[in-house]
Amino acid sequence: MSGFDLTGLTASFGGERVIGPLSLRVKQGEKVALVGKSGAGKSTLIRLIHERVNRESSLVPQDLGLVNALPVFHNVFMGQLDKHSTWYNTVTLVRPFSRDRDEVRKLLKELGMSEKLWIPTASLSGGQRQRVAIARALYRNAPVLLADEPISALDGPMAHQVMELLRERFATSIVALHDVEMALKYCNRIVGIQDGQVALDETSDRLTASDIMSLY
Amino acid sequence: MALNLIRKLMISSLFCFTAASASAETFVFTAIPDEDETKLVERFKGVADYLSSELDVEVRYIPVKSYAAAVSAFRNNQVQLAWFGGLSGVQARRLVPGSEAIAQGVEDQAFETYFIANTSTGIKPADELSSLEDELRGKTFTFGSKGSTSGRLMPEFYIRDVFGAQPEDFFSRVGFSGNHTRTLRLVEAGTYEVGALNFQVWEKELADGNIDTDAVQVIWTTPAYPDYQWTIRGDVNERFGDGFKQRVTEALLNLDDQKLLESFPRSDFIPASNDDYEPIRKTAEEIGILD
Amino acid sequence: MLSSPTVRTSLIFVAVALFSLLFADIAITASNPWRDLGNFFLGVITPNFFSSEGLMTALLRTVAFAFVGVALGSVCGFLLSLVYRFLPVRIFCAFIRAIHELFWALIFLQFFGFHPLTGVLAIAIPYSGIFAKVYSEILDEVDPEPGRLLPPRTGVIAAFLYTRIPDCWVQLRTYTAYRLECGLRSSAILGFVGLPTLGFYLESSFSQGLYSDAGAMLILFYVLIATMPLWVRPRLLPVYVLGAPFFLGEGLPIVWGNVERFFTEDIVPSPLRDGEGLGGLVPWLSELMVNEALPGIWNTVILTQIALVATGILTLLAFPLISNHFGGPVRRTSGHVFLVIARSTPEYILAYILLQLWGPSMLPAVVALALHNGGIIGHLIGRQTNTIRLRPDAPTGFNRYSWELVPRVYRSFLAFLFYRWEIIMRETAILGILGIYTLGFYVDSAIQNIRFDRAMILILITALLNIGIDTLGRYIRRKLALQTMPTC
Repeated sequence: MSGFDLTGLTASFGGERVIGPLSLRVKQGEKVALVGKSGAGKSTLIRLIHERVNRESSLVPQDLGLVNALPVFHNVFMGQLDKHSTWYNTVTLVRPFSRDRDEVRKLLKELGMSEKLWIPTASLSGGQRQRVAIARALYRNAPVLLADEPISALDGPMAHQVMELLRERFATSIVALHDVEMALKYCNRIVGIQDGQVALDETSDRLTASDIMSLY
Repeated sequence: MALNLIRKLMISSLFCFTAASASAETFVFTAIPDEDETKLVERFKGVADYLSSELDVEVRYIPVKSYAAAVSAFRNNQVQLAWFGGLSGVQARRLVPGSEAIAQGVEDQAFETYFIANTSTGIKPADELSSLEDELRGKTFTFGSKGSTSGRLMPEFYIRDVFGAQPEDFFSRVGFSGNHTRTLRLVEAGTYEVGALNFQVWEKELADGNIDTDAVQVIWTTPAYPDYQWTIRGDVNERFGDGFKQRVTEALLNLDDQKLLESFPRSDFIPASNDDYEPIRKTAEEIGILD
Repeated sequence: MLSSPTVRTSLIFVAVALFSLLFADIAITASNPWRDLGNFFLGVITPNFFSSEGLMTALLRTVAFAFVGVALGSVCGFLLSLVYRFLPVRIFCAFIRAIHELFWALIFLQFFGFHPLTGVLAIAIPYSGIFAKVYSEILDEVDPEPGRLLPPRTGVIAAFLYTRIPDCWVQLRTYTAYRLECGLRSSAILGFVGLPTLGFYLESSFSQGLYSDAGAMLILFYVLIATMPLWVRPRLLPVYVLGAPFFLGEGLPIVWGNVERFFTEDIVPSPLRDGEGLGGLVPWLSELMVNEALPGIWNTVILTQIALVATGILTLLAFPLISNHFGGPVRRTSGHVFLVIARSTPEYILAYILLQLWGPSMLPAVVALALHNGGIIGHLIGRQTNTIRLRPDAPTGFNRYSWELVPRVYRSFLAFLFYRWEIIMRETAILGILGIYTLGFYVDSAIQNIRFDRAMILILITALLNIGIDTLGRYIRRKLALQTMPTC
């Protein structure tokens, strides 16, 4: 499964509908950017999709969902807990195997933070924490990436490096972004969300930044 | 360094552990905690040594914290012999069929309870308890242990019998000091105005000069009743060999170490039987301590 | 002010306590209590560490029982906490923790006798119930988000180990360490019913007026507790836990027949045992209720309410002792020492000491409960005030206390107090063993008369009363929206 066709997506909060009903069809190879004002429902939509695809996706939520007391290695390794037996995972918790260590270190190197492998995530900066969540998603290696503002805390060059990496590793992705330039550069389809509805759906080569700005 | 020490301790305690289980057939006895523990431990360590040499088995005394604990340990076969009071002996023998009273002190055939009062109450000694009714009413009063014969059963019996009232209705405050020495100290100090205790404890403390007779005095003595005795379980022969019960009985009756006897204090041990304690059983049933 | 629900609730409780005072037996009956107290303090400052050869063994046994009991309790409690969301488990845990360690010990003494298992289980069982509750509360606080992000086929155990445990590990450890300290206190008082721990020797020395010996034991006990951070090290823990079972002493062998007898005969109500059937049960029960249970409940409730308010008052008086907002370092150091001693001394031992000195009434019990619990809460509140930053021109002295600090800490103060309500009641019941006419007095009497059927029913009543108070306490805390973490 790498493309999907979702219909009748709705979400309510406190009796008030915040999303939908809307339909979204994503084909394999599509890299969708969700854009729109904050509060338009992008995060909710990402959550909905995550549930709909039975969590068969690499998710980078806005609040990252890191286990703060664990070091970077374990937070990343968590992406593949389903690949190993319970005892293997338990041993890894106490003393990781060198194969996994090397693999995770390599991944972190690409994100420019391999020296932080054994630091508890609680003591990292915001940008570093965000990269740990991204590393976990990469390590998870699901066919689809769902990411909610994955580069909000990263500075210029690093933001580009991360987006490049995500584009390269995931054939299909849905990424909520508030940076329009980034969306146009790294995604091939732009979906604009306004008041819980799809207000814009175009391939990025037919759009300019100013077209999208009308949503804001 | 610390680890090394711990390892040594562990090994030595393991050794103790196995040593203890190797000699599983230790003859264990206990006694009701009716007096200060130091005295009891000293006295019964002596008895243990004596019995051990007479019986050729390892004999161990274990101190307990309450009369009921002594009875329970006897009932649960964790001890095979016990120095009980009248009431605790009756309780124990009811619970352990086949157990027997085998020896008592000469004095235990006719034991007494002293009612004592702090002199500040102005209560004068009397021959009849009934003549003290007005002076005693509304005073504070302490028994010894809840399970004691001389410190609870008999005094309560006479209070009910003579005054026709429950102790807690007759006195303004009723307490249980825990043991006879403690009763003596509490009344002497005036914490309670009146108390009841084992006459032997009083006499011994008096002889040793441990009583401030200006502060506390005996105001009434109960009629005599049977009290303390050695009680043994019925199944000791199966565990320690034929005739063991007989040998224990003889050893106790032959005990003539004066120092040891004085520590009880008893002049001699004489034979006893379960029937000797019938009056105690009846009294206990009468005041509802026994069902 | 009166419209504030916290103030109104406090006033209601004060009124209840004042009303209870009318019925309470409060008196100093000793003719010369201050001389005795003086002798006692003289004993404490002239301790005799070489009185009994058993002293060091007793100390070792106290530690051993605490380690084995708490370790067993925390393992069982942890397993229970995983299924704590099921109502039957919650009821079961509430029930086993509503029965005090000493009651458990008295029960086990009847069939295990003086076997180490008696002491171990007496600590482990109620602690399991407490651990289950607190562990599950701690686990519930953990952020659920990481768990939702795991790959769908992740094993339950792996998911638990990676996403739940790490973030609350420190809290679990802190709480378990705190419980170990409580375990030392529990272990010490088990000596009062005959187990070979510190209480055994303390009781002997005290009842014989050997205050220097008793003082030495108390001092050693404080040192033991105060130095815990030095000798309870994570790396040494496995050594302690594995080694402790070897230091429990041998006791006496268990006779298993006694266990069967206890459950099939001893605790069966005597009318049923004697074949009188249900017809005999009703008068038996009503006699027990009227003569023992009801007076016991009445006294227990009265004493609890007075002790609760006394604890509150003492807390409010004591917290400035360690607060940075008052006094100099000297005063605070002595304040710390006072509070550490107050909370390290088990209330049972405090009550025992005061009863010996002042004579029997509810007063020693109230003072003991207030000192111990007030010491604990005062310490927590005092520490909390140290995190408060006052404006530079804040008033000083009593105005600072009453205008700046008390209003800020009052809600957490009430939260702690209601949290300890149930604990105070559990202790109140047990103090009956010392001769105050609460439920424990009747339980002890029944046991002294070898009537375990009566004892068990009275213990059950005590447990139900505790569960009731616990529920009420939680209701009030929820109603007033009071939050506390279970560290006291």
